[in-house]
Amino acid sequence: MDFTIRAATPEDCKDISRMIIELSDYEKMADQVKISHEELKRDGFCQNPFYQCLIAEVPEEHKTKDGHVNVGYALFFYTYSTWKGKCVYMEDLYVMPEFRGKGIGKALMSSVAKVGKEQQCARLQLSVLDWNTPSMDFYIARDAQDLTKSEGWHLLRFDGAALDKLAEEAPKK
Amino acid sequence: MADFNLRKAEPKDVTDILRLIKELAKFEEMEEQVVLTEKELLEDGFGEHPFYHCLVAEVPADRRSRDGHTVVGFAMYYFTYDPWIGKLLYLEDFYVMPEYQGYGMGSHIFKRLSETAVKTRCSSMHFIVAEWNSKSIEFYKRRGAADLSLEEGWRLFEIDKQSLLKMAK
Repeated sequence: MDFTIRAATPEDCKDISRMIIELSDYEKMADQVKISHEELKRDGFCQNPFYQCLIAEVPEEHKTKDGHVNVGYALFFYTYSTWKGKCVYMEDLYVMPEFRGKGIGKALMSSVAKVGKEQQCARLQLSVLDWNTPSMDFYIARDAQDLTKSEGWHLLRFDGAALDKLAEEAPKK
Repeated sequence: MADFNLRKAEPKDVTDILRLIKELAKFEEMEEQVVLTEKELLEDGFGEHPFYHCLVAEVPADRRSRDGHTVVGFAMYYFTYDPWIGKLLYLEDFYVMPEYQGYGMGSHIFKRLSETAVKTRCSSMHFIVAEWNSKSIEFYKRRGAADLSLEEGWRLFEIDKQSLLKMAK
């Protein structure tokens, strides 16, 4: 099947938002999506964007039954390692179920890798849920290492009331 | 010893920042993995588009370290993005020299970072910790941090440079 991988535009934000919700549903966390396509637009297309996004688009004749031609996306940003410098972090990679198995996921990820290469990034990182075997297999097939397993790294989060409380306690000097 | 100043890092601080990065890496038993240079720290942190932000903890000259340093701690962070909740503050590294630990410096740094997160409209602060580092894990959990690897099953994956270049072809 023919498809194109291209940079997202502000007009794509409604589609990106739709696919973000689809992915969160697959990850069994749909109730955790709090932001809308307007916030995505504000944060991704301002002067210093907080993320970058690639879209996988199919021609009209292959559009979904709901009329969508944007059928996949990869959302990523730069991070920084104090050991190695600039890195790229792929936050989301998603292809609509009926378009899987056609190389779209691989093409999206290769495109992220290409951006990482152009920016001289030392590595690409991402996170996967431990029950998500199809995704883990996909990444392992591309030489990804599970650092939680091999080196014991855990992801910690600090939010809500705990974050607010600490912030209020910050000394004023 | 409560007298210290927490301030934004400046270009002149890159030598100290790299020294502290290497000390922390040594503590994590990964010292040989630090390949970053002062030149890269300078370009990447103080150029037109900074890839990171840094706070440094500085003591007065009369409290300088055994080796004569007055910059005795640092925290490096940057902004990331969660498509579900928006901007996040990601804490990359956070370290206070052992001879200055136990005086509340780490706690002070952490509070300042939290304040920055809230002021810049971040929904939360994320970071990673090695599971054997119980001292750090306790520090964070005492302040309300959730372990997403344990609670939700998130695993960190990495593709190194060689494999990245292979994929980019």
